[in-house]
Amino acid sequence: MQSFWLIPALPLAGFLILALGGGRLSRGAAAVVGVGSVGLSAVLTFWAVFAFLAARPEQGAFTQNVWQWIAVADLTPAIAFHVDALTLTMMGVITGVGFFIHLYSVGYMAGETGYARFFAYMNLFVSAMLILVMADNLLLLYLGWEGVGLCSYLLIGFWYRDPANGYAARKAFVVTRAGDTAMAIGLFLLFDRLGTLHIQELMQRAVDTWPAASAMPTIAALLLLGGAVGKSAQLPLQTWLPDAMAGPTPVSALIHAATMVTAGVYLIARTHVLFELAPAALTAVAAIGALTLLLAGFSALCQTDIKRVLAYSTISQIGYMFLALGVGAWSAAIFHLVTHAFFKALLFLGAGAVIHALDGEQELSRMGGLRRELPLTFLTFLAGAASLAALPLITAGFYSKDMIIWEAYAAARGSLIWWFAALGGALLTVVYTFRMFFRVFEGPLQTRVHHAPGVSMTLPLVVLAVLSLTAGFVEMPRTLGGVHLFSTFMAGALPMVQLDPAREGHEWFFQVLSAGLVLLALLVSWRLFRRPIAHRAAGADSPLKAALQRWWLAGWGFDWLYDRLFVRPYIFLARINRNDVIDSGIDQIARGAQTLYRTASATQTGRLRTYAASMALGAALVIALAVWS
Amino acid sequence: MQTADFTALTPLLLLAAAIAAVMLQIALKRSHILTIVLTLAGLIAAMLGVLAVGDMPARQVTPLVTMDRLAFFFIGLILTATAATALLGCRYWEHAVGQCEEYYLLLLVAALGACVLAAAHHFAAFFIGLEILSISLFTLMAFARRRMASVEAGLKYLVLAGISSAFLLFGIALIYADVGSLAFPIWTARLQAAGETVSPLLLIGMGMTVIGVGFKLALVPFHMWTADIYQGAPAPTTAFVATVSKSAMVALLLRLFAPVDFTAEPALFWTLAILAFASMIVGNILALRQDSVKRILAYSSIAHMGYLLVAFLSGGPAAIAATVFYITAYTITVLGAFGVVTVLSRTDADADSMSDFQGLFFSHPWLAGVFMAMLLSLAGIPLTAGFIGKFYAITAGAQGGIWWLIITLVLTSAASLFYYLRIVVAMFSPPLENKTQPPAAGISYSGGLVLTVMTVLLIWVGSAPGPLIDLIGRITQ
Repeated sequence: MQSFWLIPALPLAGFLILALGGGRLSRGAAAVVGVGSVGLSAVLTFWAVFAFLAARPEQGAFTQNVWQWIAVADLTPAIAFHVDALTLTMMGVITGVGFFIHLYSVGYMAGETGYARFFAYMNLFVSAMLILVMADNLLLLYLGWEGVGLCSYLLIGFWYRDPANGYAARKAFVVTRAGDTAMAIGLFLLFDRLGTLHIQELMQRAVDTWPAASAMPTIAALLLLGGAVGKSAQLPLQTWLPDAMAGPTPVSALIHAATMVTAGVYLIARTHVLFELAPAALTAVAAIGALTLLLAGFSALCQTDIKRVLAYSTISQIGYMFLALGVGAWSAAIFHLVTHAFFKALLFLGAGAVIHALDGEQELSRMGGLRRELPLTFLTFLAGAASLAALPLITAGFYSKDMIIWEAYAAARGSLIWWFAALGGALLTVVYTFRMFFRVFEGPLQTRVHHAPGVSMTLPLVVLAVLSLTAGFVEMPRTLGGVHLFSTFMAGALPMVQLDPAREGHEWFFQVLSAGLVLLALLVSWRLFRRPIAHRAAGADSPLKAALQRWWLAGWGFDWLYDRLFVRPYIFLARINRNDVIDSGIDQIARGAQTLYRTASATQTGRLRTYAASMALGAALVIALAVWS
Repeated sequence: MQTADFTALTPLLLLAAAIAAVMLQIALKRSHILTIVLTLAGLIAAMLGVLAVGDMPARQVTPLVTMDRLAFFFIGLILTATAATALLGCRYWEHAVGQCEEYYLLLLVAALGACVLAAAHHFAAFFIGLEILSISLFTLMAFARRRMASVEAGLKYLVLAGISSAFLLFGIALIYADVGSLAFPIWTARLQAAGETVSPLLLIGMGMTVIGVGFKLALVPFHMWTADIYQGAPAPTTAFVATVSKSAMVALLLRLFAPVDFTAEPALFWTLAILAFASMIVGNILALRQDSVKRILAYSSIAHMGYLLVAFLSGGPAAIAATVFYITAYTITVLGAFGVVTVLSRTDADADSMSDFQGLFFSHPWLAGVFMAMLLSLAGIPLTAGFIGKFYAITAGAQGGIWWLIITLVLTSAASLFYYLRIVVAMFSPPLENKTQPPAAGISYSGGLVLTVMTVLLIWVGSAPGPLIDLIGRITQ
C-alpha cells in the first residue's frame, strides 16, 4: 500500500490547478478538474478498503511515512499516514459523499461567478479533511484541522459581496478558534508530559504513565474535548453553525453536515484510550451530547428557514454521536456518523434542489405543494426525512440511532437519564423533520417553480437516498437477526461496547417502546403540520407559547448571551484602549530603531578615509581585546 | 610529489587548465559564446573532479594545502557559485561596450584563489589564496569601466583590502616570530597549550588574523566597504563577492579557529563574539530604511555573517556542521537574490532602487515569486533553506550555552523582517505609472536556469534537509 498519499494529494493537486490556472480554465474544465480529482480519490479509497480487507494487516492498520521535515530532540514532524478501519470509514464518507456533492455542485453552481474558485476551495477542503483523518500524529491532524477550518471560512463567505455572509464566516472562524485554542493547549500538554505526538505511541505512553482517573489525563482529555466541541458545534460553542448556512447549499451538505462537523467525533474516537483514562471527561462528553441534542431539537422545531432547521438538526444528531462516545459505544457513534452523513447530505442537497427551483427562496412559509412539481426531489427527500426521523426497520437512521438509544442505557457507562434524553431527542427529531417535510411538499403551491434540477443534481439525490435507506443493514440488533458487519470491521480500531449484563435482557422491550413512540410522534406531526399555517387558527397562540417560540427560534438566546458576555465587553475594552498602551511601547522601539539607523548611516559617508579610520579603530579594539582579556 | 598528490589536486589542476585555455582562446580569437562555453566546461570538469576524488581520505599536499572532505565540499560550493555567476553574466555583458571575455578569465582566477583558501593549511597558502582572490576582485568590481560607481568600488576595495592585507601580513610575521612555523596545526596547538601564558606576540598575531578574516567577512567594524561595493560593482560581481569570497573565508575560519577550544582561549572567543554581536546589530539597523536593494542585501550580509559566527562560536559538537550548513544555505539564497537583480539589470545601470522593483509581480510574476522566496529565506521563514540554517545556528548556540548571542540573533532577525518585507511589499504594489520597465525582452535561458536551480535547491533544502545534513555530518566528522 504505497499509494495512500495519492488520496489526499489528488484533491490538493486539483486545488492547485484551479487556484493557479482557474481564471484561464473554461467552466467545463474547472468542473472536470474539481469533480474528477475527488472522484479519483474516491476510487482509490474504495480500492484501499478492498486491499485492507484482503490483506488484514497486523496491528489493524497500514502505515505509511511519506516525508519527515526535521528531527529535533523529540519533535519529529512527519507527513505520515495511519490507515485503520476507523480511518477507512471516514475516508469512504469524505470521498464518497464528497464526490456526489461535487457532482451536484456542477449543476447547482452553474449560474454563479467564481465557479473555479468554488471548486478550488472544495477540493482544498477534501484534501485537508483527508489529512485530518489519515494523520498518524496529532501535529499533522492539527494541520488538517486548521485546513478544514480555513476552507469552512472561505466557503461560508463564498458570496463575499454581502457583508452578512462575511460576518457569518468570521463568526464561524472565531468561535471554532476558541475550541482550537483549547485543543492546541492540550497538544502542548500531551507533548510536554509524554514527549510525543504520534497517536499510537501517545496512547501507549498515556496508559503506561498515568493511572486511570488521575488529574493529568482528565485535563488533557477535556482540552481535546474543547477542540471537538468547537468543531462539532456542541454546547457551548454551537452558535456558529446555524449562521454558517450563509454559504452555498452544497457547502452546507459537505462541510456543515457530512464531514467537517463530525471531526470532533473522530478526534474523540481516535484518542479513545486517553478518554477511557478519564471517566470524568467521558461523562462530560455524554452530558454535552445529551444536552445539545435536546436543546438543538427544540430550536429546530421553531425555525422558519429550511436550512436552519437542518443546521439545528445536525447539531442535535452530532449530540447523539457525542452521547454514544460518552457511554463508550464507540462504533455506534461512528455508525451514526456514517448514516448521518448519507441522510443529512441528502436532505441538504434536496433542500438545495428546492431552493434552486424556487430561485433562492429559503423560507418554509413560502414553500408548499411541491410534491407534484418536484416528484423526484419529493421522493428522495422523503427517504432522507424518514432516515433522519429513524422510521423503524426500513431506514438506515433507525439502525444507527436505535443502537445509540439502546446502548445509552445498556452500556456499562449508560444510565436511564441518558436513555430518556436520547428517546426525547428522537421524538423531537420526528416532529421537526416532518414539520419541515409537510411545509415544503404538502398544502397549496406558494411559489412558482423556476427550474427543475438537472441530472447532475438528481443523480446524487438518488444515490444518497438509496444509501440512506439501505446503509443500516450492515449492523442490526440481536433482536432483528444480529448482523454485526460494521462493528466487527471497526473492532480492529475501536473497542467493542461493554454492555451491563443486568440490563442486556430487556432489549426488545426498549426497542418496541422507542419504535412505537417514533410512530406516535409521526402521527402527531401529521395531524399538526399537514395543513398549511394559514388554515390553523392564527393569533390564538398564548403569550407563553409565543415567547417560547421566539426563544427557541433564537437558539435559546445563546447569541444574545455571548454578545453581552464576550462581544460587548471586548468592544468596550478595545474602545477605551484605542491608543493602545502596549502599542505605544512598541512604537518606541520602532522610533529608537529609526534613530539608531540615522546615527549608523551617518557613518556610511562614502569617504575612503572614514572607512580606513574605522578599520584602524577596529584593529586597535581587537588587539586590545586580544591582549587584555 | 607523488601521483596521489596530483590526484588529490585534480579539481585545482583542472581549474588552472581552464584558466590557461580561456586565456589562449581570448588571445587567438575573441568570442563571447566560446569563452562562456570554455569557462563552464572548465568549471564542470573541476566539479566532476571534486565528485571523483571527494571521498578520498584526507591528504596533505606539500606543507601548504590539505585536501580533505571539508576542502572538497567548499571547493564544490565555490565552483557552483562561480558557474552561476558566469551564467548570470552572459546576458549581462552581452551588450556591453568593449570587450568582456576577460571577465570570465578573472572569475576563474578568483575562483582558483578561493579554492586555495578553502584548502589552505599554512599561512603562506592563506596569503597567496587571499591575494589571488582579492586582486581578481578589484578588476571584477571595476569591470563596468564606463560606470563611475563601478570604478569607485574597485578602487575602494583595492585600498581597504590593501590595509587589511597589511595587518594580516604583520600578524603572520608576529606569529612566525613566536611559533617558528607557519603551519596552522602548530599554531593552534601552541595557542591551545599555552593557556594563561600565551605570549603577547602570539595574541597580537591572532588579533591581526582576525582583522584579515573580519574584513573579508565584513564584520563590524571592518564592514564599511560592503555597501558601497555591493552597490557600485556590476550585479554578477556582487553575487560573486557575496558568495564565493564569503564561503572561502568561512572555510578558512573553520581551519584556523575550529580546533581551538574557546574555554582555553577566552580572548579569541570574546573578540569574535563582540564582532558577531556588533555585526548583527549594526548590519540590521543599517538596512532598515535603505532605499537601494543592493545596499539592503549588503547590510543584510553583514548581519548574516554575525549569525554564522553565533553558530561557529557555540563550540559544541554541532558548531562546525551548523556553520557549514549556514553558509551553504546562504550561498544558495544570495545567488538566487542577486540572480533576480542581475536578470533585471541593464548594462548601463543595475536594477537597484525600490522603485525598480515596484510592481514587479505584475510584469514578471515568476521573477517576483523567486525573489520573494529568496527574501523569505534570508529572513528565515520555514520551508526555505534559510530557516533550517538559522534553526541549526540557534540549536548549536543553545547547546553551547551562549544565550546572549542567541537572544541578539532572534531579536535582530525579527527586526530584519521589516526591510525584507519592504521589498516584497514594493514588488506587490501597483507599478509606477511613469516608469518604463527596465528589462526589454524576457529572461535569458541562462538566467532562468540559475534562478530555477536555486529556487528548487532552496525549497528542497528547506523542506527535506536530511540529505544535506547527512552530507555535512560526514565531512565535518
